[in-house]
Amino acid sequence: MLQKGSKIGHSSHVVTFDVRPQLLDALSVLRDRVAATRFPLPVAGAARARANREELLQQLDDYLVPRLKEPEAPLLAVIGGSTGAGKSTLVNSLVGRKVTEAGVLRPTTRTPVLVCHPDDQHWYTGKRVLPHLARVRAPKQETWRGRRPPARPGGRALRIETVDTLPPGLALLDAPDIDSLVAENRLLAAELICAADVWVMVTTAARYADAVPWHLLRTAKEHNVTLVTVLDRVPHQVATEVSRQYAALLTKAGLGDAPRFTVPELPESAESGGLLPGTAVAPLRAWLTHRAHDMGARRQAIVRTANGVMNSLRARTPELAGAVAAQHAAALRLTAAVEEAYEEEHARVRGRLQAGAVLAGDALKRWRSYPLDCSPEELLDALVESLVTLLLNAVAAADERVDEAWRHEPGGLAPGLTVRAPGLESAEHRVGMAVRRWRRVIEEYAEEEVRALDAPSDVRVHPRGGAPDPVALAALLATALLGGRRARSAGENLAERIGAHGALRLRDRGGNLLTSYVDKVLRVERERRLAPLDALGVHPEPQAELIAALSVMQKER
Amino acid sequence: MDDDGGRGGEHARGSLRPDRESDGTWDDGLIARRVAEAGEAGEAKGGAGSDQLADGGAEPPRGGDASTGSSAPGGTRYDTELRPRLDSLRELIGLSRTRLDRRTLAEAGRVLDEAAARRRLSDEHTVVAIAGATGSGKSSLFNALAGTAISEAGVRRPTTAAPVACSWTDGAAGLLDRLGIPMRLRRRPAQSPDGEAQLRGLVLIDLPDHDSAVAAHREQVDRILALVDAVIWVVDPEKYADAVLHERYLRPLAGHAEVTFVVLNQVDRLPGDAADQVLDDLRRLLDEDGVALGEYGEPGATVLALSALTGEGVGELRDALDQFVAERGAPVRRISADVDAAAARLRPLYAAERRPGLTESARQEFTDQLAEAVGAAAAGEAAERVWTRNANKACGTPWLRLWRWYQARNAPVALRPRPGPPAPVDEEAAARQRVEQAVRTVADKAAHGLPAPWAQAVREAAARGAQGLPEALDEVAVTAGVPVGQRPPRPGWWPLAVLVQASMTLVQIIGGLWLLAQVIGVCPPNLGVPVLLMSVGIVGGPCVERACGVAVRGPARRYGAEAERRLREAAAACGRARVLDPVAAELLRYQEVREKYVEVIGVGRSGGVTKLSTTSG
Repeated sequence: MLQKGSKIGHSSHVVTFDVRPQLLDALSVLRDRVAATRFPLPVAGAARARANREELLQQLDDYLVPRLKEPEAPLLAVIGGSTGAGKSTLVNSLVGRKVTEAGVLRPTTRTPVLVCHPDDQHWYTGKRVLPHLARVRAPKQETWRGRRPPARPGGRALRIETVDTLPPGLALLDAPDIDSLVAENRLLAAELICAADVWVMVTTAARYADAVPWHLLRTAKEHNVTLVTVLDRVPHQVATEVSRQYAALLTKAGLGDAPRFTVPELPESAESGGLLPGTAVAPLRAWLTHRAHDMGARRQAIVRTANGVMNSLRARTPELAGAVAAQHAAALRLTAAVEEAYEEEHARVRGRLQAGAVLAGDALKRWRSYPLDCSPEELLDALVESLVTLLLNAVAAADERVDEAWRHEPGGLAPGLTVRAPGLESAEHRVGMAVRRWRRVIEEYAEEEVRALDAPSDVRVHPRGGAPDPVALAALLATALLGGRRARSAGENLAERIGAHGALRLRDRGGNLLTSYVDKVLRVERERRLAPLDALGVHPEPQAELIAALSVMQKER
Repeated sequence: MDDDGGRGGEHARGSLRPDRESDGTWDDGLIARRVAEAGEAGEAKGGAGSDQLADGGAEPPRGGDASTGSSAPGGTRYDTELRPRLDSLRELIGLSRTRLDRRTLAEAGRVLDEAAARRRLSDEHTVVAIAGATGSGKSSLFNALAGTAISEAGVRRPTTAAPVACSWTDGAAGLLDRLGIPMRLRRRPAQSPDGEAQLRGLVLIDLPDHDSAVAAHREQVDRILALVDAVIWVVDPEKYADAVLHERYLRPLAGHAEVTFVVLNQVDRLPGDAADQVLDDLRRLLDEDGVALGEYGEPGATVLALSALTGEGVGELRDALDQFVAERGAPVRRISADVDAAAARLRPLYAAERRPGLTESARQEFTDQLAEAVGAAAAGEAAERVWTRNANKACGTPWLRLWRWYQARNAPVALRPRPGPPAPVDEEAAARQRVEQAVRTVADKAAHGLPAPWAQAVREAAARGAQGLPEALDEVAVTAGVPVGQRPPRPGWWPLAVLVQASMTLVQIIGGLWLLAQVIGVCPPNLGVPVLLMSVGIVGGPCVERACGVAVRGPARRYGAEAERRLREAAAACGRARVLDPVAAELLRYQEVREKYVEVIGVGRSGGVTKLSTTSG
C-alpha cells in the first residue's frame, strides 16, 4: 500500500546544499531578535504571539540552524500522533526490537525515545539538537507490564537508544501524544515535531476524523514540510474503505501528495511490547531507508523541510513583529493613562493651593488664634500636615484614576502591574518627608532674612525693638504662601516685620520652592507608578529589528 | 463557549477548600452551615436513608400504574430539596440584578429556565444521552441497548451526524421536542417482552461525536448535553485518555457524577487482563478529573467495561440503567448538579474573604478625620487658651497689668499683639482634602475583601454621600464652633478672686499710706503693723494670682474640651448621616444577598446527603 508522492521536493527553487555562512549568520541574528521579543501585556493575541515565539525559537534552535550547519547529520523522522495511535509499537516494529514502551495504558510514552544507529550516536549525545532535554543513557530493562513507569522527577529528558538494525543516517524519534492529558507532554510533542526532517503522522482507523490530529496536519501543510502519514490499527475488513476515506480527506486538505501508509490492526498491536510482523511496516521502512541511503531522495526530504520552514519565516516573523507593535501600543496607552491622571491631579493641586485650601480646618483655626493663643510652631505643624494631606490625596486620587483607566485597557491586567509594592503608607512617608524638608528650608530662609536684618547696614528697616523671631517669620511666610486670599493679613504682617522688599523676596523664594517641591512629589509618585510598566521592557525597537533581520535572511538565501 | 464555564466551575470548586480552612474565624455562613450539616449528615444518614428506602420499597419498581404510584419520589425530592434552592436562586438573581451585569447571571437564569422547563415535562421519563469520541461505538451501544439496528454504525468517520432518539415508553414527545429531535429520528426499541418490562421510562439519545473535525457536531453535542437528565460516556481503549474528553467534558461536568455513566467499550479488542488494567486506569483518570466514582455504594459515576460488538457487559449496563431509570431521580439530580455548578461559578461574586462590615476602629478613625477637617482639636485648644488668658488677666495684680501695658506700648508695631479686624466667617472652613481622605479610607476599609461588584457599590455609596459633605461641615464649623468675639463665661469664684486681689492691693495701699502718715507725723510711730500690711499685700498679690492660675486650669480645660466636643460631635453626626449609614446599608444589602447565596448552596449539601443515603440503599 505504498503510494509514493511523485512531487516530493517540488519547492519553488531547489537550493544546493552548500549553505553560505552568511545565511547562517543571518539566521542566528534572526534567532536572537526573536529571542529578544517579550509579550508581557495580556492584549489580544499576546498568548498566541508567545506560543509563536516559542515555536519559532524551537524550530530555529532544534532544526533549522543545526540542519544547515551540519547537513550530513542523520535524517530525523519524528513519529507523532494522538494517544493510542500506536506510535511506540510502530517504532518498535520498524527497528525490530523493543526500544520504547508500548502498552494499553495511556499515556504510554512519557520520556521521548530517540533511536539511531550506533555510529550516529555522537550526533545526539551533545547539545546539537534539542538542547533543553537532558539525555538519559540507561536503557530501561524491566518490563512495564501491569505497572506504570515511574514518573521522572523534574526536568524533561530524552532517552537515546542505539540499534544496528536501523540504517545509518536515519534516526527515529518516538514523541509523546500530541493530545496528551498531561499538558507538558503536549508541548514537548510539539517541540519534538518541530525538530524533525520528516514528520511521520500516525492516526488510526478510529480517529482519522478527529479534530486534534488535523491541526497538526494543517500545520505541516502550512510549513510545507516533508510529511508522511500512517493510518494505523486498521481492521482488515474495513481497510479499503477507511483508506479511501482518509485519502479523500487528505486530498481535500491539500495533502494528497503526502505518502500514505496503512498498517493493519493485528492482535500484536494491543499487547505491550508486541512487535508487528515486518511485512506490516515494510513499505514505511523501505521508504525511510530509501530516504536515508539515496542521496537525492535524502536531499529532497531535507531541502523541502528546511525550505518550508524558511518560507514559513516570511509570514511568521512579520506576525511576531506585529505582536511586538501591539504590545508597544498597549504600553503607550497605559503610560498615557498614568500621565494624564497625574497631570490632572497636578492641575487640581495647583488650583487648590492657589485657593488657599491648605489653610482650612485645623490650620485655619490655628491661624485665627495666632499669635495670641497659638505658637508659630503649632501653626507650622498644622500647615505642614494639611499640605501633606492635600498631596497624599492627589496621589491617591491619581492612582484611583489610573486603576479605573487600566481596568478598561486589555494590557492593564498584566500580573506585575496590578500588584503594587507597599501601598499608601510608603507614599505617606515619602510625601511627609518632602513636605517636612520644605518646611526646614522655609525656616532657613527666614533665618537668613533675620540675619540680614541684624547686619548694621539694614538698621533702618526695624525702627524699634529687636530682631523678629525667625520661627514666627517662617510661620507667617508659610501661611502667606499656602493661605491664598484668606491669609492676606499674614503677608501684610510679614511686610511690617521685615519690610516690603524683604517680604516680597522671601515670598518669591518660598513660592518657587513650594512649586518645585510639589512638582517633585507628584513626579516621584508618577515614576513609581510607571516603574512596573517600565520594568516589563516593552520597546518598539524589536519590531524593526525583526523585519530587518528577516530581510537580511531573505537576501542571503 | 467551550470550556469557559467549565473552567470557572472548576476554579470555584478548587477555591472552596482553601477558603474553608483559612476562613476559620468567620463562620456565620457558608462554612459553618456546611460543617454543621456534615455533622448532621452522619446522624441523619440512617434515618433519612431508611425513609427513602421505605418510599422506594412501597412504590412498585416497575409495572403497575406509573403515573400515580411512582411520581412520589421525584415529587418529594423536588419539593424538599430542589425547590427551596431554586427559589433562593431566583431571589438571589432578583436581588443582585442591579449590581451584577446581565451576562454573569445569564447562566444561573438558564439553569432556572431549564429546571422549570424540565419540571413541566414528564417526570416518568429519564432522558439519557450516549456521548463519546469518534469511533468509540456509541451507535453500536445504542443499537445493542435498543436490541435493533436503529442508528447507523459504520467505519466512515464521522458516522452519526444528527442525534437519534429511542423511547421505551410513550409520552416522551414533549421531552424530545425540547431537545429538538425531529420526528423522523424518533424510534422505538425492538419489541420483546423482556425489553418492554425493562428500562421502562427510558429515552435514549445517540449523539454525534464530540471530537469530530466537523464543528457543527460539537455544537449539537454541547446543546443536547445541557438538556438531558443523564449521560453515558462511551470510551474505547484507544481514546480513553484523550485530552479533549477529559478537559472539555468530564472535568467541567465532574459535579454531575451522579448522573454520569462511563463505559469502556470494545474490550474485545484487549487481550487477557489488559481490560482490567485499562479500566483501572480509566478510574484513576476519572478520579483525577474530580469525578466521584459510584463504588462501594457511594454516589457517583458508574464505570463499566463492555463490548457492544460481542454483547459482553451490555446486560450489566442494562441492569444499572434499569435501576437508575426506575428511581426516577435523575432529572432532579441533574438540575441539582446544575444549580451546584452555577452557584460555584457565582461564588467569586458572593463569597467575601472576610466578614464584611465597618469595624469600630474604622468608624472612629473616620470621625477623627472629620473632626480634624473642621479643626475641632485646634478650636478646643484655642478656646482653652483664651479662657486662661482672660482669667489671668482678670486676676493679675494691677502693677503687673500696668507693666504689661507699658511693654505693649513700647513694642514695635508689628510685634504688638492685636486682634485685628474681626475675622469674617470663612468660606470653605472645612479642609476638603481631609474630608476626601477620610471618605476614601473608610470606603476602602468597608469594601476590603468584598467581591468586586459589591465593593464597587460600597465605594459608590460612600462617594455619593461625600458629595455635599464638605459644605455641610463648613456649616458645622460655623454653627457649632466657638462664637467669635464673645467673652467666655467665668466660674462662680471669679468675683471672689477679683475681690481678694483688689483687697490685697488695698492692703498694700493702706499699709503704704499708714507708713507715709507716720513719716509725716500724723500717726504715732508704729512700724510693725503697716510694714506687715504692706508686705502681706506685696506677697499676697502674686500669690493670689498664682493660685488663680492653678485654679483656672481645670475650668479652662473643661471649657476647651467642651468646645472641641461640640464641634466633633456635630461633624461626626454629619459624617454618619451622609457616609457611614449609606455604606452600612450597602453592606447590609450584601449580607442579605450572601445569605440567599448560602441558601442556594447550603441546602445543596443536605440534598447530597439524602441522595447519598438513597443510592446506598
